[in-house]
Amino acid sequence: MSDRVVEVSGLRKIYKVHERQSGLGATVRSLVKRTFKEVQAVAGIDFAIEQGEVVGFLGPNGAGKTTTLKMLSGLLYPTSGTATVLGYTPWDRRDEYLRRMTLLMGNRTQLVWDIPAADSFLVLKEIFQIDDKSYQRRFDDLVELLELGPLIHKPVRQLSLGERMKVEFAAGLLHAPEVVFLDEPTLGLDVSMQVRIRGFVRELNKRTGATVLLTSHYMDDIVALCKRVIVIHHGRLLYDGGLADLAERMAPYKLVAATLRDGAADADLSKYGEIVSRDAGRVTLRVPRAQAADQTARIVGDLGPDLADLTLEDPAIEEVIDRVFSGDHPFGTPEREPVAAR
Amino acid sequence: MRRYLRIIGTFIAAEAKNEMAYRANLALGVVEMVLVIGTSLGAVLVLFTHTTSLNGWTLAQMIALTGVYYLIQGGVALIFNPSFEKLMEHVRMGTLDFTLLKPANAQVLLSTRHFALIRVADLVMGFGVVIVGLYMLSASVTAWSLVSFALTLACGVMLVYALLLSLVTLSFWFVRIDNIMAIFWAFTDAGRFPIDLYPGWLRFTLATVVPIGIAVTVPAEAISGRMSYETFIGMLVGTVLAVAAASWFWRIGLRNYTGASA
Amino acid sequence: MTLARIYRALLLAGFQQAAQYRIQSLLWMLFAIIRPVIFLAAWIAVAVAQGGDIGGFKVGDFAAYYVCMTFVSQLTMAWNSHEFEWEVNQGRLSAKLLRPLHPLHYSVVENLVFKLNTLPVLGVVLILVSISFGAIYRTQVWHIIAFIPSVILAAALLFMFNWVIATLAFWATRMRTANTLFQRTLFIFAGQIAPIGLMPGWLQAVSYALPFWYMMGAPTEILRGGVTQEQVAQILIGQSVWLAITFVAFQWIWRRGVRAYSAVGA
Repeated sequence: MSDRVVEVSGLRKIYKVHERQSGLGATVRSLVKRTFKEVQAVAGIDFAIEQGEVVGFLGPNGAGKTTTLKMLSGLLYPTSGTATVLGYTPWDRRDEYLRRMTLLMGNRTQLVWDIPAADSFLVLKEIFQIDDKSYQRRFDDLVELLELGPLIHKPVRQLSLGERMKVEFAAGLLHAPEVVFLDEPTLGLDVSMQVRIRGFVRELNKRTGATVLLTSHYMDDIVALCKRVIVIHHGRLLYDGGLADLAERMAPYKLVAATLRDGAADADLSKYGEIVSRDAGRVTLRVPRAQAADQTARIVGDLGPDLADLTLEDPAIEEVIDRVFSGDHPFGTPEREPVAAR
Repeated sequence: MRRYLRIIGTFIAAEAKNEMAYRANLALGVVEMVLVIGTSLGAVLVLFTHTTSLNGWTLAQMIALTGVYYLIQGGVALIFNPSFEKLMEHVRMGTLDFTLLKPANAQVLLSTRHFALIRVADLVMGFGVVIVGLYMLSASVTAWSLVSFALTLACGVMLVYALLLSLVTLSFWFVRIDNIMAIFWAFTDAGRFPIDLYPGWLRFTLATVVPIGIAVTVPAEAISGRMSYETFIGMLVGTVLAVAAASWFWRIGLRNYTGASA
Repeated sequence: MTLARIYRALLLAGFQQAAQYRIQSLLWMLFAIIRPVIFLAAWIAVAVAQGGDIGGFKVGDFAAYYVCMTFVSQLTMAWNSHEFEWEVNQGRLSAKLLRPLHPLHYSVVENLVFKLNTLPVLGVVLILVSISFGAIYRTQVWHIIAFIPSVILAAALLFMFNWVIATLAFWATRMRTANTLFQRTLFIFAGQIAPIGLMPGWLQAVSYALPFWYMMGAPTEILRGGVTQEQVAQILIGQSVWLAITFVAFQWIWRRGVRAYSAVGA
């Protein structure tokens, strides 16, 4: 049994939110009496993560993923439940824990604006008590991995968003943390930078064996980095397991796209499966997995020369996730018990 | 003209709703001003435990002057400050064009967009203090002192307006003029005492470049019956000239700005 | 010791950063000078009206008092109560909380850097003001010796107190009022409007009891040479006591503040 780095049990977080309404009358009333409502950001979740894993938290905005991450990094304490990371209770924020972990939030700067990042790094070196040799080694590694080069010697103020993110990443990793929390790491970045950041995280995990927990609402981040995915919605854990399994269980069908020649563009293909779209001679059908091969063969046989092209695809992962979030799935709704699959 | 009043009316209504929603702000804003004015009066009182006249000004006259000081600050803060701040931001961000496209005189629109209604409380309190001073002065109050007070007060506000407008116009060229503004705000503290108290260089500055000194001292003189006719005429003429110069400067800046972005 | 190395690194970075804000720093100094000059002018007018002497203070004494007051104010000033709210809202506090260093240290360094940067120029300006107003100093050597610990205690006291106010930002959504209250209290009690000896009796008594005079007025009087040895001892004791009280208060409120903050996250 390999070590469990993160163990979470019954974690719950409830917020009290002040209700505000529009309209002059309601505003005057609120001068005298305030109403609050309770919002359950995290409604009791359990999971465990082993050393070296790269786990993605997936969920729409407001699902509770960032809240969970904040609790695990120690910024937030829960309403009830327990969590241990590396054996520590995160929200105690003990120095020993802080030296072994890092939280990187996309779009947030912790570096000093007006001086070059390299100079901020030197401050971090002392705060985290990194010895000269280790510091130099990690500095060089990070500069190489993140392609920082001249960036670290420019004042942070002068860097573009993408460059700043890279430099912030480096700052957060100087002390070689064993656990890395990433909150929306590619938020606001252009596509090529997103790809680079993903590559970097993958390389980081491979080289250092650091355990990575990442939240994102970009499917591409998750697909690129995480074998294991924890789906959170309305504060509940809906699914915890492999990404591929998720797709298979959630969407037990394949997409068959048949392109018809001009003459036969109107042909009715509904007997082969559920028609998803019809677009200028290209018909897309949803066919249950088990029948996919048969139906495909039948289409080829029946249409013969009228068929110009035929493709067989897995459903897009986004579609799978959409269905999970919209409640159209076998995993249980927020009212019922969630099902964890492994 | 009516159109402008109506526009300003909608601005006021919008701001009122906005500000009521922040209930704490209102109450606290009032508390703050009471604190500030109260402690300033306290300082004056401490000075007067050792004397009955400050360079010829009696306690009653000093109280009136303190009232005028906060009146002017309140009046300017009420009407102009927030709008000017936003204007500078617009210039810096390059979003000024949006307002310039609206078919009303840019200067008026920009000057009155954001009323800070809390500042009404400042005005009221300033007036209150002036009334207290007046009461103590009651013997010497005449119709002339009241009328001249009202007129010179209006001039005072317009003088500060001219100053702010000129400063803001500078932002067309310098973009970031926060530092320049900070210098001037530092000088406004000197308005709390009559300018004849200060050494020559400071007195000169407070009468010309940063006219807060004149803006406060002259109306205070008016209400205290200390003002000469020359001062009165000078104030009126000076104000007209200052506002005209500032508006002209603004138009130049505006032309320069729109020319540049074309 | 690690803390020494951390401070060295923070100071270095701090000076680099401050180099970018030279102008702003000099401007702040301007602010610092104008108010004392204004009140000095007022007191001179009062003194002149009374024949040149008020309660032992001649015009030259007033000039010395306000020059020293300006110098001391610059040495003891702190401004965290203004900035902390912003830091909290920007999420910068969270980043600091996740590092193994108490956030207070960053602000100590920031404070030191600003002062070290601005004092030289201020010193020169004050010498000029001194000369032009004919300031009379009654300082003796032992005054200067006593001044050093006194001004350090005063700076620490004002800094700590400022932080207690700043911590209110964890609960208050509008720090402006707390700040105004604090500033105006300083205005009355710290010795800016009048030397404590010239305050009405009851106000004097209150000023001796509260911590504010010990933050500025007291070291000013020591520097000016306006106190006896016995009074100096009393001042140092008063400063130490208030510093201890404020320090304990800060520990208490900070812990509770961070806890409240962690209930809501950032």
